[in-house]
Amino acid sequence: MNSPFPKSSSSPGKGRIVVRLGPDGSTSRLETCTYQYPLKLITPMRPSQTKSALVFLLSYGGGLVAGDTVNLSIDIQPGARLSVVTQGHTKIFKSPTPDVVTRQTLTAEIASSAALCLLPDPVQPFEGSVYEQLQVFKVARGGSLCLLDWVTQGRAARGEHWSFVRWTGKNEVWMVDGDGSDGERLLVRDSVILDCKQVHSQIPALRDAMHGMGVVGTLILRGPLMKPLGEFFLAEFAALPRLGARDWRSEEAKKAEEEKMSPHERWRAERIQCEKENKLLWSAASVRGCVVVKFGSPEVEASQRWLGSMLAKEGSIARHFDEQAMMCLRCH
Amino acid sequence: MTVSNSTTRIPQSEADIDDEIADLEHKLAEAKIRRQRFKSSASQPRIPSPSSKTDSALPLGSFAFSSGLESYLSHQKHYLPSSPQGQPSPVTVFISSFLPLSLSSYAATSLPFVLAAARLVSQPSQLTSAALTALDDAQDAAIPCVVARRASIAQGRALLGIWERSFDGVVRHPAAVTEEGAKQAEEALRGFATLVRKSSSSTLASSSASAAAPTTMDEDAPPASSAHLAPLFGAVASLLGLAPEEAAYVFLLGHVKALVSAAVRAGMFGPYQAQRTLAGGEVHEMITAMVEREWETEVEDAGQTVPVMDLWVGRHELLYSRIFNS
Repeated sequence: MNSPFPKSSSSPGKGRIVVRLGPDGSTSRLETCTYQYPLKLITPMRPSQTKSALVFLLSYGGGLVAGDTVNLSIDIQPGARLSVVTQGHTKIFKSPTPDVVTRQTLTAEIASSAALCLLPDPVQPFEGSVYEQLQVFKVARGGSLCLLDWVTQGRAARGEHWSFVRWTGKNEVWMVDGDGSDGERLLVRDSVILDCKQVHSQIPALRDAMHGMGVVGTLILRGPLMKPLGEFFLAEFAALPRLGARDWRSEEAKKAEEEKMSPHERWRAERIQCEKENKLLWSAASVRGCVVVKFGSPEVEASQRWLGSMLAKEGSIARHFDEQAMMCLRCH
Repeated sequence: MTVSNSTTRIPQSEADIDDEIADLEHKLAEAKIRRQRFKSSASQPRIPSPSSKTDSALPLGSFAFSSGLESYLSHQKHYLPSSPQGQPSPVTVFISSFLPLSLSSYAATSLPFVLAAARLVSQPSQLTSAALTALDDAQDAAIPCVVARRASIAQGRALLGIWERSFDGVVRHPAAVTEEGAKQAEEALRGFATLVRKSSSSTLASSSASAAAPTTMDEDAPPASSAHLAPLFGAVASLLGLAPEEAAYVFLLGHVKALVSAAVRAGMFGPYQAQRTLAGGEVHEMITAMVEREWETEVEDAGQTVPVMDLWVGRHELLYSRIFNS
């Protein structure tokens, strides 16, 4: 029987996950799952889901201390599927000096017909923290990826509002030829640089540049399994009401039209109402064979609910990875 | 005691003292020169005066793009109900908020590509068609927004057209570039232009079809070249004799001019205020600060410094009525 506590690997902060398709041809199994301090990987002892292997990406103490380095590599073999989640926001603690950088690096190789679903909680950088994140995804033809990367203003309850020193996040999606040759092509390089340093007095400080947002994030979708979800986001974006359009209909006409709405139209109308009330802004774009969704809102929960609602409504994530892949998007 | 000391110290004549002063002054002057050299060589960009080499209005069609300004105004109006105390004036909003944010965002995302291409021209046999294509492809991957991509490509292609029709074979090679290097850079631009034409004719049909139905998540490789503005601007400006820091300055000034002109047409303020904004020292200072910030940024490290800018620009598509393309 497998031990519930995976072996520790040797290099600090290093972790490795290898997922392979089981002999039954449908269950994904963790072949390797090793980690070392401060990284911690947990997998359910008796997996309740069967559509994908599930790994909790954790850190000791629920956060990363200044200077911590995490280096995780994920290898998903042909046909296998992996969901990666977290338990609560990834806290980034204060650095003593700006040159002490806390780093997380993730490299994932997704083979043909394999899939990775990375829907973690947002990163929460505390006041005075310095953080650098790099995530590189090499997706073979036929492989699929759902990747969420989001960052909050910090501990809002303590008055933190983008009070960190520096936060950078870079996501790269590469297309890889299936035969393992060196034919690689960069598809998307999504990079966000949030720096408190004001290079000129007239350039607004970071907290003003964030324009009232409390969380901003990016969702990137790639590959055949995520195609319906990507098209769903593009279609919902195209269906958003025009800004500045006037509604000339009478109250009666509005009511009559509302009664004729399909369930999907009703859901959309309610969601759009929510977006407006929560001042949630989002956009979706088709970029070089990927769909890139950008979003932001003053409240973290508003983005969490919105994203959860979109993914649940469309259904691809639950269908291909199981409900648990979306657990970070459930409101507590 | 003190008297005898002071007498033993100055046994020289007046002429000796004069010599000593001259010697010290010479040393001081030398040290000052060394310091000056150190300052200018320590990767500090040398910034031209704003009036030089920036007057020509390249017909890039920049007037069609507001870089998110129109969308920003619409979002301010519909998402922020006006407060009872009244809103700040449009001039204040533009000068103290949108302009600097847009400049910071544009510099962080595009300037590394301008500088990289400009530096390739000044190194012999570095600017090849392949190198330009690689820069162009890297920038294409780094723009996560349809609207911004459209604006960048439209202006990039316009610049490529201007270079082909107006500059190629006409401009004298700049002194900073060797004759051979300039010839090769020109050859690279020609090769790149051919490649752009090839890949645009093959993707034009599919992209116009995809505009109708947004189903573009296929797994085909993206086109080899798009002709984004930033790398082409760097290459062309260098061939016209601008140093990398000058090319970067002119690139950002062009952005500011386009923004100011967009603000006028969006009715934020009139043409006198527009000239006042451009003439003010702040614009020059801000651009200089941006060039310094991005002076050593590699293209791989270009990124968005104002995330909400991506949202404004991306949501330009949602405006009910619009006068701009971005």
